Amino acid sequence: MTLSILIWLPLVVAVLGAILGAKVAPKLSLVGSLVTLGIAISFVVRFKSGEDGLQFVTDTSWISTLGISYKLGVDGLNVLLLLLAAFLFALVFVYANLREWERPGLFYFWLGVAQTAVLGAFVAQDLILFVAFFDLMLIPFYFLTGIWGNGTREERVRGTQKLVIYTLVGSLLMLVAAIATGVLTAEQHDTRLNFAISALQELPLSKGSQEWIFLCFAAAFLVKMPAFPLHGWLPDGYKAMPLPALGVFSGVLSKVAAYGFLRIVLPVFPDASVHFQELLLLIALGSILYGSVMAFSAQNVRLVVAFSSVAQMGFITLGIFALNEDGAQGALLQMVNHGLVTVPLFFIVGLLAARAGGSEEIKDLGGIAFRAPVLATLFLIVSLATLAMPGSANFAGEFLILLGVFNAKAAFAFFASIGVALAAVYMLRAFIKSMHNRVNPSVDSREISFSDLGVLLPSVVVILALALYPQFGLKKSEQTTKQTVAQVQAKTGQLTADKTSEEQR
Amino acid sequence: MSTTTWGWLVLAFPLAGTILIGLGHKRLGRGPAGAIGTAAILLAFLSAVAALVSLQDHEREHRQLVSSLWDYAVTGSIDARLAILVDPLSVFMMLVITGVSTLIHLYSTSYMKSDRGNARYFAYLNFFVFSMLVLVLAANFFLLIVGWAFVGAASYLLISFWYRRETATKAGIKAFVINVVGDVGLVLGTFFILRHSGTLDFLGTFRAVEEGAFASHNGALVAGCLLLLVGAFAKSAQIPFHTWLPDAMEGPTPVSSLIHAATMVTAGVYLISRMHPLFEHAPAAADVGAIVGCVTLLVAGTIALVQTDIKRVIAYSTMSQIGYMIMGVSAGAYAAGMFHLLTHAFFKALLFMAAGSIIGAMAGAQSLDKMSGFKRSMPFTFGCFVVGGLALSGVPPFSGFFSKDEILAYVGARGDWYVVLYIAGYVGAFLTGIYTWRMIFRAFFNRPSPEAVELEHGHIAHAEFPTNPANGEREDTEVGFPGPEHVVAEREIPMKVAMGLLALGATILGALQIPFVSHVIESFLEPSFEDSTLYSSIHPSDGLVWFGMILGTVLALVGIAIAHFIWVRKPGTSAAIQARFKAVHTFLWHKWYFDELIDFLIVRPWSALGTFCRTWFETVIAEGLLIGGTTGVVKAGSQAVRTLQTGFLRYYAALLLLGGAGVVLYFLIQSS
Repeated sequence: MTLSILIWLPLVVAVLGAILGAKVAPKLSLVGSLVTLGIAISFVVRFKSGEDGLQFVTDTSWISTLGISYKLGVDGLNVLLLLLAAFLFALVFVYANLREWERPGLFYFWLGVAQTAVLGAFVAQDLILFVAFFDLMLIPFYFLTGIWGNGTREERVRGTQKLVIYTLVGSLLMLVAAIATGVLTAEQHDTRLNFAISALQELPLSKGSQEWIFLCFAAAFLVKMPAFPLHGWLPDGYKAMPLPALGVFSGVLSKVAAYGFLRIVLPVFPDASVHFQELLLLIALGSILYGSVMAFSAQNVRLVVAFSSVAQMGFITLGIFALNEDGAQGALLQMVNHGLVTVPLFFIVGLLAARAGGSEEIKDLGGIAFRAPVLATLFLIVSLATLAMPGSANFAGEFLILLGVFNAKAAFAFFASIGVALAAVYMLRAFIKSMHNRVNPSVDSREISFSDLGVLLPSVVVILALALYPQFGLKKSEQTTKQTVAQVQAKTGQLTADKTSEEQR
Repeated sequence: MSTTTWGWLVLAFPLAGTILIGLGHKRLGRGPAGAIGTAAILLAFLSAVAALVSLQDHEREHRQLVSSLWDYAVTGSIDARLAILVDPLSVFMMLVITGVSTLIHLYSTSYMKSDRGNARYFAYLNFFVFSMLVLVLAANFFLLIVGWAFVGAASYLLISFWYRRETATKAGIKAFVINVVGDVGLVLGTFFILRHSGTLDFLGTFRAVEEGAFASHNGALVAGCLLLLVGAFAKSAQIPFHTWLPDAMEGPTPVSSLIHAATMVTAGVYLISRMHPLFEHAPAAADVGAIVGCVTLLVAGTIALVQTDIKRVIAYSTMSQIGYMIMGVSAGAYAAGMFHLLTHAFFKALLFMAAGSIIGAMAGAQSLDKMSGFKRSMPFTFGCFVVGGLALSGVPPFSGFFSKDEILAYVGARGDWYVVLYIAGYVGAFLTGIYTWRMIFRAFFNRPSPEAVELEHGHIAHAEFPTNPANGEREDTEVGFPGPEHVVAEREIPMKVAMGLLALGATILGALQIPFVSHVIESFLEPSFEDSTLYSSIHPSDGLVWFGMILGTVLALVGIAIAHFIWVRKPGTSAAIQARFKAVHTFLWHKWYFDELIDFLIVRPWSALGTFCRTWFETVIAEGLLIGGTTGVVKAGSQAVRTLQTGFLRYYAALLLLGGAGVVLYFLIQSS
């Protein structure tokens, strides 16, 4: 079974659903997503940890004159993200099936397109192919938000407009940068055009070219995450997105951006990564602190979760730009962890709003635990995981990230750890304000329904399982992570060696 | 079975109890939940006893046993395994924790029987004990931090157990956040140590320290130990991380008993003892620990003098007593510190239980201003309170006397500036006598309050409607609020049994370690501390020991006498003193203004920052400048504005994407 089946299956199902019509589409999409999940699991099972290089490779020439190939492959960096994406999409399809959507054929079509785009971006091993999938991701969200979004038409348009235009600009920068990478590599090394990432990695660009290209890629990824201060589209964009779309956007799409740093930026632009390390660490730190501060002062639960994502993505970026194994391992684990908590959190936001007359404002919530102990317990578990309570896999990730940064640039670790304490404030605040204290008069307090439990419970079970055995993920990614950072580390080593020799002189 | 298997069982029972009660909370009625919870902890206690017995079968040199289940996070530079360390120190802690907790569970079966959240309560309580056991059994820093944080989370759950009270949820989040700050301290401290020791494993770290891993990095070790102390202070409520402890009284009274006696606040004392090989190589950090402990014991003692909530007075007494322990173990008095931990666990659990009994008789009210004269109506509770009070204030032959004096004798024997700590310790002992007996005299002596009179007539007082004692708000008795019935120890056999056994322990446990007579604890713990230079080299002289015992006795008795004079012989004296030293009283009443200080220095700046970000940065920079700028540029470059609003953005976006891509591609290929 090849990776192509995995990535194109959701699209095929989506097209079929759109053709067969509104009656069949929801169920068909659900089954399709479960099959996709099964296929993803089979890849993870067959994946051999500790092996060098890509596995399950598909490599055919696509546009040979331009050196673009259709190359897919799995290694330690993406194996778990693949599983995460398939799992979260399956959850989202279950959730979507429990609700009514206007024009369901089209709705499920766009969700399917999104899944294909995301899975494609995760397994693409050709720079142009990656960019193509990355840009393809945006289109379904434009429609999903524009048509099925929340709020008045005006709010929807505003949210969509900000989301699309802002991330589109980032995407265009990345496209330019990707093309430039191939062209300049061919030029500087006098070789044929070849956009395969493994090939680009072998032929480093000159330092000057690396630097501006790095900035273009970074801009695209940081907008997508989003990271401070490029998160301006987030409040309106997140508020406008329908919950299923929001779940996968925050759970998976943001990870594609972080993954891009590890897959492309660090290996292909090692000099620039070292050069801009502190800048990126500063942005990461800014995201952590700003996201946390916004999360604990936000008046809307959805925004609490949204800004907590900004902070969490900040931690992930921090780990990546520690530029060492600990940091990268932690970042990868944390990508999975964050995906696993953010989707249930947004679902819970939906459940809370359903009990507060549709309002997501914190002042309209409160006191549900009394009648809904199961919902409260699940919310509590997810909240504790989100705030990286030791004992959760999130803590293992955060521990590695902070350790990596501590060993690279200790000061950043100290400031970042303020974010750990603030996470406790904003998550518990959201939990207490919605679940505890007196029952808010505007709240209709009732327990979680059985079908909704079907969405929440699997994610909580996975969170708990990973909490018991985070080594499951760490072991799979270890080998590739080591190689990914090795090159950059050689550069940092060089840099420090140069510095010390300068000092000695 | 091997010793470590018993260790794993000690963990397994409370965890199983939590899961069982948690999953079955709907089906289990009020009785079974309490029975399962109590049985789980009792079984854990029996396993701990078995571990003790089986540990004694090993040679003295081989009493540090490690057992690992699986690799938890082994990658890069960390080697975190799910592993426990069973040695005399951890066995000692297990015994104290499970033993006292069993009695607290037993007491709770009566105390919480009418509470509508009964099953949830026992699930949390089991989880609390489990967490604490993880903390003391952990064989590496990673698992220690896990246990550490679990304890914080469990305390949050129990402090805000009555979650429909806003006062309780506030207290809960406060405790949780301060504890997370402590966790962060532990994590960062671990980083400093891991960097040079190369392992998270305790025994490996200690070996590395002995082998000189920090010989040229002593600064890192001191920094690491200071950060570990942040964790210890947060959990053990030492200044300035103590403000959560008095507020934690929002939880049900048996929870206070648990937090103060068996679990949680003793964690810091354990941590310093466990890490003694590190602290002995970083004496500067150890000195900070000793000084903070000493300051805490004095400050808490003074605050306890004026508080009127009976539980808060006991809470401050805990802070003060933990101060003794922290001071002791930081100075190297490990066995003495552990001994005091043991005796304190007994008499403090007892005092809280007795307080719970009075609160029951007061229909939930906790203010000393309202209680008086319960001596006749509650003879059993009174007897327990007196035993606990005598042990707390250090009157011979009660247990607290021997353990506290042993700490102080050791600190005195360190000589040098430690003498200041020694003297301060005795000043604290004097204060302890006063505030403890102030509480007893006010609650039990003088003219009976209406509630006491009612109890003498055979009725437990009932308020007209239930209220929150903290703010007087009216409430009901459904889930999330206390149950409708109040109980007193005199009428509940489980409460009587629990309190009776604790009272017995508080009376006789001092015999384990009497100067010149017995050394049970010291010799048992020795294998854990034999590598310590302080432990083997400092020995108080006979004269110092005798002097300390006499001084301690005299100060305690004088303190009690003063309390008797002020609150029984001349009841008006208290008001006169308050009027005379108004400023001092206000200062103490406001608890040295620590809450206000923290609010001013930390809480307000951060919330101000939050408001600033939300109202200014977000709109002006993130949205206005960056988003506005970008969209503005895009819009200005085309006529899209109108099309956007007519819904043609989709075509426009696709066109932009494709067109832009095409142009750039063409251009670049041409130029190359």
